[in-house]
Amino acid sequence: MTGWCWFALVEGAFDDRLASTAVASAPATGADDARVGTFAAWPAGRKPVESALRMDERLVDPDGRAAWVSLVVVPRRIAPLFDDVAVSQALRQVLRGGQRVAVSTLVRDATTFAGSVTVGHTDDPRWQCDDPFARLHPARILRAGPGMFAARPAPAGPAIQRYTGKPWPAAGFLP
Amino acid sequence: MNPDLVPGKQLTDVELPDHDGHLRRLSDLSAGDPLIVNFYRGWWCPKEQAFFRRLVALQDEAEVAYTRFVSVSIDPPEVAAAFRAGLDARWIFLSDPDRRYQTPLGLLETTDTVHRPYVPAAFTLYPDLRIHAVYNGYWFWGRPTNEQLRTDLREITRAIRPDWEVPA
Repeated sequence: MTGWCWFALVEGAFDDRLASTAVASAPATGADDARVGTFAAWPAGRKPVESALRMDERLVDPDGRAAWVSLVVVPRRIAPLFDDVAVSQALRQVLRGGQRVAVSTLVRDATTFAGSVTVGHTDDPRWQCDDPFARLHPARILRAGPGMFAARPAPAGPAIQRYTGKPWPAAGFLP
Repeated sequence: MNPDLVPGKQLTDVELPDHDGHLRRLSDLSAGDPLIVNFYRGWWCPKEQAFFRRLVALQDEAEVAYTRFVSVSIDPPEVAAAFRAGLDARWIFLSDPDRRYQTPLGLLETTDTVHRPYVPAAFTLYPDLRIHAVYNGYWFWGRPTNEQLRTDLREITRAIRPDWEVPA
């Protein structure tokens, strides 16, 4: 168990190869119900698509219900350090609590903040507007179909550091 | 206090609803890290308010030190959530309004027949819930200072992190 998985919003074709290797996937739609792509997660190992990022594997549930998701993906060239105080402050805000059922930061490399996935608790997308990570980079508010995201209890605080580059809040130093 | 709650023994792996109402197990909350667990009377007790101000000050260090806190009381989740928010605590509060663990742990405060709260006690724990130190907080001065907690956490961390001595 690595504590993380690959995650991506695939905006192009979600072909058989991607589908057959994914542990979970679901259509992603916008507020206007227009299809924007496919949310998918794959096991740790070989990177499945160029845009894939590491996510806490506990956010994945093939039996999960449909949910609104606030997705922040920061382009590499402007990604802040994970240790940037603005990132730390967003993590503290998550630990304070709020209307969300699952959170993971996204990891591209050992040092920077690549983004976040925040799963909302209601069928009202307006709750997603309080995503603390959206203060770091604009978030896309998308609807995930069933079969993708888990409901998780709040992360155990007050720890906000990553463990050997794992996506927060995945814990443990073992690889 | 249960005579088994001494250094070297395991603290019970309590399973209780957190401040959001989700059932949580202590061993999951430790997540492989050192842990401070405090049982407290309730939001209304000035001694608890003073002690929590101490823990809130310590959380700014704990957040970067791979360390967890858990606080347990008989307050129901919504009360614990309000108290936690007012403190600006960023750790998990567990609620035991049915007093499930009070008797097994021997932590019923018998002198308060109105609230029947947990008698204040603090534990520093290894990740497997083995007790490192116990603090009887019935009298306020029995509670650990932040210096004592730092010392405990240093000793636990030194014992569990194989790279405490910087790798060559």
